[in-house]
Amino acid sequence: MNRRAVIRNLALVIGSATLLPSCLKNGGTPVVALKHLNINADQEDLIGDVCETIIPKTNTPGAKDLNVHLFVLKMLDDCYTKKDQKTIVSGLVEFDNMVQKRYNQSFGNLNEKDRVAVLTGIEESAKKQNKAKAPAGRNTKPQKTVDANPLFAFYWAVKQQTLFGYTTSQYFMTKQIVYELVPGRYNAHFPVKNLKQA
Amino acid sequence: MANLNIDSVKERTFDAIVIGSGMSGGWAAKELTGKGLKTLMLERGRDVKHVKDYPTTNLYPWEFPHHGVLPMDVQEANPIVNRCYAFGEDAAHFFVKDKEHPYVQEKPFDWIRGYQVGGKSLMWARQTQRWSDFDFEGPERDGFAVDWPIRYKDIDPWYSYVEKFAGISGNRDGIAELPDGEFLPAYPLNDVESYFSNHVKANYKNRHVISARCAHLSKPNQIHIDQGRTQCQSRTLCQRGCPFGGYFSANSSTVPWALRSGKLTLRPHSVVESIIYDEKLGKASGVRVVDTQTKETIEYYAKIIFVNAAALNTNLVLLNSTSNRFPNGLGNDSGVLGKYVAFHNYSAHIGAEYDGFKEWTTDGRNPAGGGYIPRFRNVYKQETDFLRGYASGFSAYRFKQHNYDGVGASLKENTVKGDLGPWYVGSHLMGETIPKESNFVKLDPKLKDDWGVPLLSISVDYDDNDEKMKKDYIEQLTEMFTSAGFTNIKPSTNHQSPGLDIHEMGGARMGNDPKTSVLNKWNQMHACKNVFVTDGACMTSTSCQNPSLTYMALTARAADYAVSEMQKGNV
Repeated sequence: MNRRAVIRNLALVIGSATLLPSCLKNGGTPVVALKHLNINADQEDLIGDVCETIIPKTNTPGAKDLNVHLFVLKMLDDCYTKKDQKTIVSGLVEFDNMVQKRYNQSFGNLNEKDRVAVLTGIEESAKKQNKAKAPAGRNTKPQKTVDANPLFAFYWAVKQQTLFGYTTSQYFMTKQIVYELVPGRYNAHFPVKNLKQA
Repeated sequence: MANLNIDSVKERTFDAIVIGSGMSGGWAAKELTGKGLKTLMLERGRDVKHVKDYPTTNLYPWEFPHHGVLPMDVQEANPIVNRCYAFGEDAAHFFVKDKEHPYVQEKPFDWIRGYQVGGKSLMWARQTQRWSDFDFEGPERDGFAVDWPIRYKDIDPWYSYVEKFAGISGNRDGIAELPDGEFLPAYPLNDVESYFSNHVKANYKNRHVISARCAHLSKPNQIHIDQGRTQCQSRTLCQRGCPFGGYFSANSSTVPWALRSGKLTLRPHSVVESIIYDEKLGKASGVRVVDTQTKETIEYYAKIIFVNAAALNTNLVLLNSTSNRFPNGLGNDSGVLGKYVAFHNYSAHIGAEYDGFKEWTTDGRNPAGGGYIPRFRNVYKQETDFLRGYASGFSAYRFKQHNYDGVGASLKENTVKGDLGPWYVGSHLMGETIPKESNFVKLDPKLKDDWGVPLLSISVDYDDNDEKMKKDYIEQLTEMFTSAGFTNIKPSTNHQSPGLDIHEMGGARMGNDPKTSVLNKWNQMHACKNVFVTDGACMTSTSCQNPSLTYMALTARAADYAVSEMQKGNV
């Protein structure tokens, strides 16, 4: 996706976001004018690639098709404390370095298998340290505090926001499940077998 | 010039003034205009027109910038109101932000406010239960506060009166301590809620689990259709304002009704600085208002004044209305004004699971929220080491559980795939607190708001009775849950500050004796007969029912009395 397209799409999903002027430089300048997060364009791309690895394009749209990666950036920028954002960003740097060191290339250049292995590896080691912060329950709203370990904090924050953004996206809520704004009914005694299965 | 002034005074003179436009103010305006009085309604905040001013009401989750989550800068700037469950991206615009209207906390108090036409009736939880004589006789029997000057028979017909108009869904349960009303069909209990209800009925004397009674139009009558309201559509997005008028709010019901009479002048952006006392006439002559947009101070005059500014702000207005006759606040001969403030104790919860009814679930959403357990402690006699008792919410629910492990295609599939989890059950405490002189509000001696009105200083706290009651709730509910075969029972208590229950009451209590109370049995000031207080400030005790229905009934009753007294020339 070229930059202009990113900006245009972003404007569609994030009406209120302030955007940088159109004369964007390549390299270090971020695509999105983030208000709080101090990250560059490459780091934004990296977050996008992590989002896409979490919810990939299959025979249905993936995170990037649905602009979930832009939603994730917005959430990271708007919905975390400064302290948590610092932790998350240092986790992002750590993540980048770790991948470079292990594979001698960036996360974005890895094949899908390796990308999945990297993320799964982080999740597994986080869980082993009993620091699992996997989303649970009936919603995927972001947790209130992030993990003290920056790498884990980065991973869980991006994963949660990707899941939250995806499962509350228009596509998901109209094509994968049916969210009803106006149910118009309450059946207190309803057979499980009659539930609509997606 | 003189003539102009006379005209201007004439234009600013009404039969009645209502201070506040929320739950009780809306009723005062409806009743007073309905009896032909030219009425001025003053609202300190902006106007909120039904439907038109509900900007988020029809938004889907993905249409919110953060899909419903409030940005951290908003959360951090509003530590107080952010603790309110309904303060989300969809309804934050109806809540007062912390810095907009500061107050002084001598002790921690989460003062949750809605400064707009409709007040908090826009975002309320819509639970509506009558009081009984077990509640009105409480202070007298148990020796606290002062005796209520009314009994159930005094308010019973007025409950009926407001219920018919507001639209209350519920069953006629035949429970003495929670009298039946004029009900629209109840929202049914689900399988596990019914199971628990039956279990409790069979195993406990005088304990009941009933369908929660709520202000929703399960099946509207003509009177509701006449208000422009239609059947509740089970959206459960009520805090955004309802385009169907499916639940009762001042905005959907009483205020437009009063406006249609042609007798109501609604004036938003009008902070009431004080009520003017006329020393010669020996009664109130009007109110002094600051227009928040022009900063202009304007006086309005009327024969009677209804104070419905919401409990604590009503105290503020009265305390700030000083004169030679009332140096300590209007009607405050007794010295109790601002004192004996109480609230509801919401600081405990209990959750569990039930392994049964696996083939059954629910479909759609229940606007009533589930079940309600009326007070069962100390009802017929004192049986514990604490005074009074508590009601409890009770609901059961289940939802699809997803495996969110890992990443990639399998995770993506799992966001849709999943099995229904077990039934979860939950209950929360709604405890009566005892009004005490040491729980009070007062005017801060130095600090003032943008309009020159002193800030309210709040000093309200829990006491030992509340701690004992909380412990008893956990014990009793744990026992009842265990007995019903619920598993994984998890009681939890919190230390939420008073105020977050949003049931603050008292300060201008009703009573028989002018020496110990501010209002008489008609919500009329003992010492200033043309001023009526019919919001939460009037409450002598709190019982444990959600209070709004009682405010509505007291307001309609007081308005009826006020007008008959006017006609007799007594006020």
